[in-house]
Amino acid sequence: MSVETRQMATESALADLLEGPPVLVGSPEDRKLSEDIFRPVWEQTRRGWLALFGITLGLTGLLFSAIAYTFAKGIGAWGNNIPVAWAYDIINFVWWIGIGHAGTLISAILLLFQQKWRTSINRMAEAMTLFAVIQALLFPMIHLGRPWFFFWLFPYPSTLGVWPNFKSPLLWDVFAVSTYFTVSLLFWYVGLLPDLAALRDASKSKAARVAYGIFALGWRGSARAWRHYRIAYLLLAGLATPLVLSVHTIVSFDFAVSQLPGWHTTIFPPYFVAGAIFSGFAMVLTLMIPARKVFRFEHVITQRHLDNMAKVMLATGLMVSYGYLVETFIAWYSGNPFESFVFFNTRARGPYAPIYWLMITCNVVVPQVLWWRKARDNTIFLWFVSILVNVGMWTERFVIIVTSLHRDFLPSSWAMYRPTIVDWSILVGTIGFFGFLFLLFLRFVPAVAASEVKELRRELEHERHQQSHDQAAHGS
Amino acid sequence: MPPLGSGAKLPIYGQPAAPDRAPADGRHPWRSLRVLGAGDGPSREFDEGAAEPPAGFSRRTFLQILGASTALASLQACRPARQKIVPYVRPPEKALVPGTPVHYATAVSLGGHATGLLVTSHDGRPIKVEGNPDHPASRGATGSLELAMLLDLYDPRRERGFRRGQAPLAYRSLLRELTALAASHLADGGSRLRFLTAATGSPLLQDLRRRILARFPQARFHAYESLTEDSAREGSRLAFGRVLAVRHTIAQARVILALDSDFLAVGPEALRLAREFAGRREPGPEMSRLYVAEAQHSVTGACADHRLRMKSSEVLGFARAVAARLASRHGHSQLAPMGATPSGSPAPGDVRIAKESAAVADDLARSSGRSVVMAGSRQPPAVHALAHAINAALGNAGKTVEYAAPAFDDTTGPASLQPLARDLAGGKVDTLVVTAHNPVYSAPADVDLGTLLGRAPNTIYLGYRDDETAARCSWVLAAPHPFETWGDARAHDGTVSIVQPLIQPLFESIPEVELLAAFLDLADQGAHRILQDYWRGRAKGPDFERQWEGWLARGVVPDTAIAAEAAAPHFVEIAAAVKAAPQPPAGLEMTFVPDYKLHDGRFAENAWLQELPHPVSKMTWDNAAYVSPATARKIGVEDGARVELRLAGRKVEAAVWIMPGQADDVVSLPLGYGRRRAGPVGSSVGFDAGPLRASDAPWFAHGLAVAPLGGAKHVFALTQEHFSMEGRDLALAFDAKAWSPEKVEHLKGPSPTMQEPVDYQNQQYKWGMAIDLSKCIGCAACATACQAENNIPVVGKEQVLRSREMNWMRVDRYFSGPPEDPQVIAQPVMCQHCEAAPCEYVCPVNATVHSDEGLNEMVYNRCVGTRYCSNNCPYKVRRFNFLNYRGDMSPTEKMAMNPDVTVRTRGVMEKCTYCVQRIERARIETRLEGRAIRDGEFTTACAQACPANAIVFGNLNDPRSQVSKLHQDERRYDLLHDNGTRPRTAYLARVRNPNPELS
Repeated sequence: MSVETRQMATESALADLLEGPPVLVGSPEDRKLSEDIFRPVWEQTRRGWLALFGITLGLTGLLFSAIAYTFAKGIGAWGNNIPVAWAYDIINFVWWIGIGHAGTLISAILLLFQQKWRTSINRMAEAMTLFAVIQALLFPMIHLGRPWFFFWLFPYPSTLGVWPNFKSPLLWDVFAVSTYFTVSLLFWYVGLLPDLAALRDASKSKAARVAYGIFALGWRGSARAWRHYRIAYLLLAGLATPLVLSVHTIVSFDFAVSQLPGWHTTIFPPYFVAGAIFSGFAMVLTLMIPARKVFRFEHVITQRHLDNMAKVMLATGLMVSYGYLVETFIAWYSGNPFESFVFFNTRARGPYAPIYWLMITCNVVVPQVLWWRKARDNTIFLWFVSILVNVGMWTERFVIIVTSLHRDFLPSSWAMYRPTIVDWSILVGTIGFFGFLFLLFLRFVPAVAASEVKELRRELEHERHQQSHDQAAHGS
Repeated sequence: MPPLGSGAKLPIYGQPAAPDRAPADGRHPWRSLRVLGAGDGPSREFDEGAAEPPAGFSRRTFLQILGASTALASLQACRPARQKIVPYVRPPEKALVPGTPVHYATAVSLGGHATGLLVTSHDGRPIKVEGNPDHPASRGATGSLELAMLLDLYDPRRERGFRRGQAPLAYRSLLRELTALAASHLADGGSRLRFLTAATGSPLLQDLRRRILARFPQARFHAYESLTEDSAREGSRLAFGRVLAVRHTIAQARVILALDSDFLAVGPEALRLAREFAGRREPGPEMSRLYVAEAQHSVTGACADHRLRMKSSEVLGFARAVAARLASRHGHSQLAPMGATPSGSPAPGDVRIAKESAAVADDLARSSGRSVVMAGSRQPPAVHALAHAINAALGNAGKTVEYAAPAFDDTTGPASLQPLARDLAGGKVDTLVVTAHNPVYSAPADVDLGTLLGRAPNTIYLGYRDDETAARCSWVLAAPHPFETWGDARAHDGTVSIVQPLIQPLFESIPEVELLAAFLDLADQGAHRILQDYWRGRAKGPDFERQWEGWLARGVVPDTAIAAEAAAPHFVEIAAAVKAAPQPPAGLEMTFVPDYKLHDGRFAENAWLQELPHPVSKMTWDNAAYVSPATARKIGVEDGARVELRLAGRKVEAAVWIMPGQADDVVSLPLGYGRRRAGPVGSSVGFDAGPLRASDAPWFAHGLAVAPLGGAKHVFALTQEHFSMEGRDLALAFDAKAWSPEKVEHLKGPSPTMQEPVDYQNQQYKWGMAIDLSKCIGCAACATACQAENNIPVVGKEQVLRSREMNWMRVDRYFSGPPEDPQVIAQPVMCQHCEAAPCEYVCPVNATVHSDEGLNEMVYNRCVGTRYCSNNCPYKVRRFNFLNYRGDMSPTEKMAMNPDVTVRTRGVMEKCTYCVQRIERARIETRLEGRAIRDGEFTTACAQACPANAIVFGNLNDPRSQVSKLHQDERRYDLLHDNGTRPRTAYLARVRNPNPELS
């Protein structure tokens, strides 16, 4: 072994150590990649998939039954009361919206930053985003006392001559969330076009060919189409990027703009965005780890991806922890007795204190294990951490909404909140509906963007080629 | 719903107010009872459902109606003279304007004492009760009970028609049978005829009784009231040798000692005394001082400067200690024989009583002639007699306390029931007419009236509802509501009011006057004629009709008050009685207290009252065995624990509620709950104290044993669960010594803001409110008034448990100090109408907005129900229709709705509007007259009802208005001022006047 080869081996080992595992294992052929990635679409329906589909379909039924019951009875079907006029409805809304942040962040921001590791996970993350935002979109509508007038929230020239109140953060919410949903949908769908066309071309039945053909919008893969596609994709990425930051900022205004102690906090916008990305990445991990295992995507979605996502979780988790710290500090520093009471009494020692401490455990303590590489490498361990973070972020919204409301200014109106079976049905039902949509996605659409992975392979080969040239030049 | 063709009539106002059932009218002359019974006149059954709108309307029914109305119109001429009811103050021609409400004066009686009312009638429907300013017992104020009587009127579950056994009776057959029954008693002079009545001061009813006794000399009348005032009566007999009514006037009283007397909230003088008391609660040298010695925590106790916590049985000892001190230190030697210096024992209780009684006595003596000692009707006669003696010795008699012949002279307690029980048990009664309020439920435990009623062949119950007594009686006759019938009533001071009906009886019923008249063969005359005939004989001057109309219009018959007379107490007899009273034994004591909401249980089916939070405990839809924290520890129970209360071999089950301020070793259980037959609203609500209440101890009893039962805890629905202010500046109270205006300086005035405040100075009106916490007694009449005025639904216990009560107005109550003996403050809170309202900017659909005059307005039909406004309301005064709380209303319930106020649907937010409908009505009326609204011309429903005048509403842009002056008061502060909401409602801090010697 020559000195050069030894040196090369050392360098690659060092690169391995610094960069972690590769973003694509080996250098598979296009055909092999297509086979691997499209296999879940073409293969026989799996038993496990059917079982999960049955369960999530049932939960979806539960969700819509609970919503129908709520419409028939009124909001009284839930546990909401005065003073806790918002509870599971808004908790779930904010939770799902938060979850729906990872996809766009991965697809758009990482695209703009040219991060290679986004390629194999963006499709799944975007789908997750879309389905999470669908869950979130349910709530602004069903939480209304008179849901049949939901359209009054939109600015349209009504014969009543009344416009919505543009000062209300709830109205900003309507705009922010509907924009976010539209852009996410477009972004996901545009990215899907080449793969849909590939599926169309590879389909063995006429029905599949027609179906995929319709959705492929006549994609031929011409250079001209690719050029337009690239521009559209980049533009949408540019459009989606500010939305990642704005949506949760505006959701946080629902609270920050009010004057309730525990809500009226200026740190809410950044802290909500960090929390959203935190929970979004947790949800991506929760879904991706089993999907990767089941569909044997380990060589496409590599340990490197999981590692990076774990690091993002750790970073955003620290931001969230900082948010908790600053909130509490300001509560003390401001000298406002009402605010101090919320942070030092109601939350930490009040009747809902167990939920507060569960939040601290899940969101502050547990993510700290991600400092250790071993913890990040252990996929099963990582999966449990991601679940705990999801739970933690749900409890965070519970702490913010219910705990702040149930004990505010006048002790005479303090009261406890107790969720009803309908509240639980809706929460579990949205998880089911989310899973239902995600299972459909896994079954009918490639979960990994095949065209982009192929592109990535070429880029990587090109890089390697370039490197060897450089080294050869260097060596001589 | 009856078809239109069946002859049903809508109760249209302006029609004759009394039922047109008088059989002796021009249409159907009759010569004998048999002819009368066989008469083919219009049967009473046709009036069934007369209150309901007609259903079908076909061509055929139209022709039928056409024919029928022509026939009726031609028959009008043959009717007796129209019965004319006369509206209050306003001329009658104005009464006919559709859509304009008219006020009629009338009166209702509780325990035989009348309260004068003005009832607002909207197109013939009474929709709101207010106090009659001309009536001595009201002075314009009302209590929750009177206000809520309106709901009873429209209750579809009230008794209808008449039945004997299970067989329904028509009105004519009823009269025939009653007359025949009366005739059958003529032979033996009525020796087997008995009447069990409620206490009544009505001159007409008393006259009818006299006439019945003249016709049936052997018959007997027994009066029974569960909340009897017998001991006050016996106390005056003891002190003066004859029965005298005691009248208090505390407008000038500087020191008040209430011996277990809840005079601010219970009793015939409560409304007037509350106003007089509140009049002297402003800080200054003339401020009064109130001492209350009591066991359970009462409304009056909560207002006390010194609440002296003791068992009910210890009150006599305390009063004697006061008497002893007055005798020994202040030269009132006539009190010496009845005084008893507290034993010099070092027991903490004795030391405390010695100190407190000395301070109270010194204070009373310092204000001789301007002090008063009041004994509560729960205390034995000896305490009443002792109070008379002390008042006489201090020279208070004739000044703060007066004596006069009582409006009625009946024994109304167990002593009156016992002879009847003996006669019933001995089979000496053939016919018993029961007009008392549900005596089977409220009779003492040792009188098993339910069984005894079965011994008489004919038991005739005139009742408003199908209750426990109706179930035991062989005849059940529906009684009309007080707003449906003619009659008269006497106030505590003797002033007579004519009771005029405001609406045709909604359901078939017979008034007590006509029932008694049946025993005189006069029932066919009708209540109106009987009443007029009675008063025609007593009118002074020639023109009776004009006088009569004047009485109806004003609501009082002038110069009927009974003159006060001088009365000298017999000190020797009092001393003997006081000394003969037994010493209170140690151990647990059971006390029975009247309930602020259900009274003696007669309002158990009134959902407004059931849901009204108890003024002290804030409990709804329940009563509880109240114990002190120390006693709860001793028994080993917590809130909601089920216990068995055993007393003299009888037992009841109840659930415990720990009440701060309750005397130790006392279990108090309010009366009126645990009804078994009270419809879906009242049945099985709370715990019945009745089985423990014996004739010999109707108010408190020794020897109670409490056994915890274990098992699941009882769940109490409270509207307020947290009673500490957490050190916040919410309901402010200061001791007079410590008070200075600087204390609230930081809680008023403009708060710095980036936003330019809207200037309302140039508007004609800037509506605002001021609430004086010094005056507020926390009785919650305002909350009931608001409920009636604003069509506020009741939601039921389960929804209250979910914290979804709908009351726009709540009376917050905070405790401070040690839980054993806390200080209490009540604070009415409703929408503060913030000028910078946090609720407004967060509503996404502009459903809550500001008016030009600064009102925070709620637009129901724009509201989509996001509930964001409630979240952002720092006062949490907004109420949300979580469910369809109105549901399907029965036709009569719909009639109770105020047509000026929208009935809200589900999914809509609502809140106090400052009674915007009243503002607009005043605006319309004054615009027509081309002038501005004058101060005091109208006020909100809460301010109108308030007995203490604690709530004042008006125009803040008028510097001379009362509310403007109160907003400038040095005690004024804004609730949550730091939030910068600039509320239009200002609070005036409470100032207490404690005795420096006791602090």
